[in-house]
Amino acid sequence: MRVLIKRLSAYSTAACIFCLLTGCGPQYVPPGLVYCSEGNPESFNPQLVTSGTTVDATSQQIYNGLVDYNATSGQIIPSLATQWQISDDELTYTFQLRKGVKFHDSVRFTPSRAFNADDVLFSFNRIIDTSHPYHAVSKTGYPFFQSIGFDKLINKIEKISDYEVAFHLNNKDASFLSNLAAGFAIILSEEYGQLLIKQSSEETIDRLPIGTGPFKFVQYVKNEYIRYHRNETYWRSLPQAELLVFDITPKSTSRLAKLITGDCTVSALPKAGELPVVLEHEELEIDSQPGFNVAFWAFNTQKPPFDDVRVRRALAHAVDRDNILRAVYQKTAVAATGMLPPMSWAYSENKSIIEFNPQKAKQLLEQAGVENLTVDIWAMPVARIYNPNAHKTAELIQADLANIGVKVNIISYDWSVFNQKLSQRSYDSVLIGWNADNSDPDNFFTPILSCSSVASNSNRSRWCSPEFDRILAKARATTSRAERKILYQQAEAMFADKLPMLPFAHATRLAFKHKDVKQSRLTPFGGISFSGNDNGDISDVNIEVKH
Amino acid sequence: MARYLLRRLNLFLATSFVLFIVLFIVTSHFPVEKSFALTGLHSPNAQQIEQIEKNYSLNDGQFSQFFSYLQQRLSGDLGISATSQRPVIEELASVLPASFELAAVSAMLALTLGIPLGVLASLSRHKITQHTIMAITLTGYSIPVFWLGLTLSLWFGVQLGWLPISGQLNLLYEIEPVTGFVLIDTLLSDSPYSTSAFIDALLHIILPAITLAVLPFTVVVRITRAAIITIMDQTYIKAAEARGLHTSRVVLRHALPNALIPVLKNLGLMLGPFASYAMVVEVIFAWPGVGAWLVSGIYQRDYTVIQGGVLAVALIIIFISIMIEVLYTAINPLSRKELYASN
Repeated sequence: MRVLIKRLSAYSTAACIFCLLTGCGPQYVPPGLVYCSEGNPESFNPQLVTSGTTVDATSQQIYNGLVDYNATSGQIIPSLATQWQISDDELTYTFQLRKGVKFHDSVRFTPSRAFNADDVLFSFNRIIDTSHPYHAVSKTGYPFFQSIGFDKLINKIEKISDYEVAFHLNNKDASFLSNLAAGFAIILSEEYGQLLIKQSSEETIDRLPIGTGPFKFVQYVKNEYIRYHRNETYWRSLPQAELLVFDITPKSTSRLAKLITGDCTVSALPKAGELPVVLEHEELEIDSQPGFNVAFWAFNTQKPPFDDVRVRRALAHAVDRDNILRAVYQKTAVAATGMLPPMSWAYSENKSIIEFNPQKAKQLLEQAGVENLTVDIWAMPVARIYNPNAHKTAELIQADLANIGVKVNIISYDWSVFNQKLSQRSYDSVLIGWNADNSDPDNFFTPILSCSSVASNSNRSRWCSPEFDRILAKARATTSRAERKILYQQAEAMFADKLPMLPFAHATRLAFKHKDVKQSRLTPFGGISFSGNDNGDISDVNIEVKH
Repeated sequence: MARYLLRRLNLFLATSFVLFIVLFIVTSHFPVEKSFALTGLHSPNAQQIEQIEKNYSLNDGQFSQFFSYLQQRLSGDLGISATSQRPVIEELASVLPASFELAAVSAMLALTLGIPLGVLASLSRHKITQHTIMAITLTGYSIPVFWLGLTLSLWFGVQLGWLPISGQLNLLYEIEPVTGFVLIDTLLSDSPYSTSAFIDALLHIILPAITLAVLPFTVVVRITRAAIITIMDQTYIKAAEARGLHTSRVVLRHALPNALIPVLKNLGLMLGPFASYAMVVEVIFAWPGVGAWLVSGIYQRDYTVIQGGVLAVALIIIFISIMIEVLYTAINPLSRKELYASN
């Protein structure tokens, strides 16, 4: 017996020593960044989607566009185009392209030439030219470009020389350059496209991406991670991180836990309630950026009774939006008075936006002759920049509407299913939002409220008004800011009158990170960059804009 | 013995057959088109539709549909995942090793700690030691696994910051999967970081393995204790003691091997709850195994993944429990006697 116990204790001591040794032994971790992201990207080509998750994982990491934004000033600055000229009639934009930019190499593909005009033509013709070999490869279409009517806008893209390209427009569009700077307008490799045609595996281009960006795509395991390596031949200064990993963690609390335990260094889309936890930890800090976004409750205006403006207004009157701001955003958002956020130059405070008044709501419902109304509210299952907790928002609305005798069912699915089901158009109303792709005010209207966006399913209210579209078209065709501002205010007024959706907040963009991480940066228009480059630092280029 | 093995094999085949029938019936009740539920193809073209109809005999009666279904599934075609569009069998192959790794480490923990403790509890003359051990095991047995997992990760992960609480490995380590078992792969890897990757993998497995090991551990302790107590009263033990053998020798040589037989039998019975506990643990600790994969498939209405996951998990449980039963019969002299008597 004694021997037995001796053996047992010897055994357990050995085990303890082993644990201690392994636990305290020096650990070497490869230099790199782990970003806890909120979901699976739908594709690795942002041309095909509008989801912020995909843009985060691709636009700033794998690709470059022709032009870019200065993160601080919001000005348009050169990227793959070194300079550009705009013709006097504002219908032709000529871009000079950067020389010596190399595309990534991968196991399948080694580029034999540098980036040139063919790649620009390839990338944009894919979107607008229906006979392009890759046009039909996308099963989801090109929603951002469809919603802004890109194919109707562009007459022709002309290759002037290997390093000069001209875009010929059908009509004036003041938002054209801004749209090119959006995360969706990226440049693909034409050579890679040709190679894949030869191998007849065209759909690979969106799955195993090749771009010119600071990081090369290495591996994607759904629900687990996306792995990138540094692009050693990047044309801007090299990013510090040799490795970049997106750790896909849909639950916000898990992201926070991983950040605290050191499994990730930067964490996306925190809930407002988690801010105090981060403040308690000395090694963590909060990165914030005033948001260019809007969260709204969209009514399906093609479905009775929501086609009646009185019903929409009644529901809007019944919702206490200040309460939502307090409970869901906890002071990390500003109240919306319309679609445009206060940061936009076209913003002016809109007094006509609807106030909280349950009595009036009841009257309006009576007038509309609607009784025993039951509303399905679809609440996004994931946190987005504009709304960190749609489910809680839905619960607050549920409680508010119960006061005026309207019953609410909250409906939710997993994110990818949610998006699919939304495009089936059978919902009553949905809590969703919009994150701007560029600083142009047009971006808050045309992609989500125009008639063409109804067809591309990015207009969640499914509201189509030719008059509204006319105002927007007029605003796009004008370059004078003062005139445009008046037009966008007209649009806001009409929007507030018809109320196809109820905007309630412009959220501040937040990310949590370890203090020693310097190279991550939230970009104002969606997307997060890990290259450590402030795009404004490029001093060797001169911007020349002629009129 | 050959006849016995044949009968067990027959049992395995029959149970699996019933499993396939159940899965087939359930599949036809999914609220989606049958061809989609079977293959996971979103919008098949005309040619693919024809192929699907041919492969699954969709235009024939239920009976031939079932046999086509069986044929497809047995040939390894589990369809493609509706969300990732990758073959389900491929995804399954990538998630199974992680589950096996976790299960193996937990089982090892449970056995190597449980058996000695059970022996200790049975031999101890002190009432206090006995009661303490039994109280601990009873508590462990009754703690819900999700609570335990969350509490451990809160203490050791978030508050103390000692151990990582999610995943298998810090994602910055790039380890080529060779065996699929991260603990082995990190050692095989020729990366300069291979040692620290191994340590990191070891640290990652501690919390999930402990959480999962608690239930089998408590069962092993209790059964070992009960078995040893019974055996110590047997005449052959008394005879061994009478020969003047040392207690440790009596226990290790004579009592323990016989005590392990009921432990083995109970391990087989515990497989079902163990598997469902493993799924909960995988979800809590974001362990990239078959359980977490199946649960995310359920959330995403990925019908092919649900079928593939259920099929794989059920087949594995059926197979292992039959193997344990065979092993039990092989090493248990008493059951061998019954076997001969019945034949």
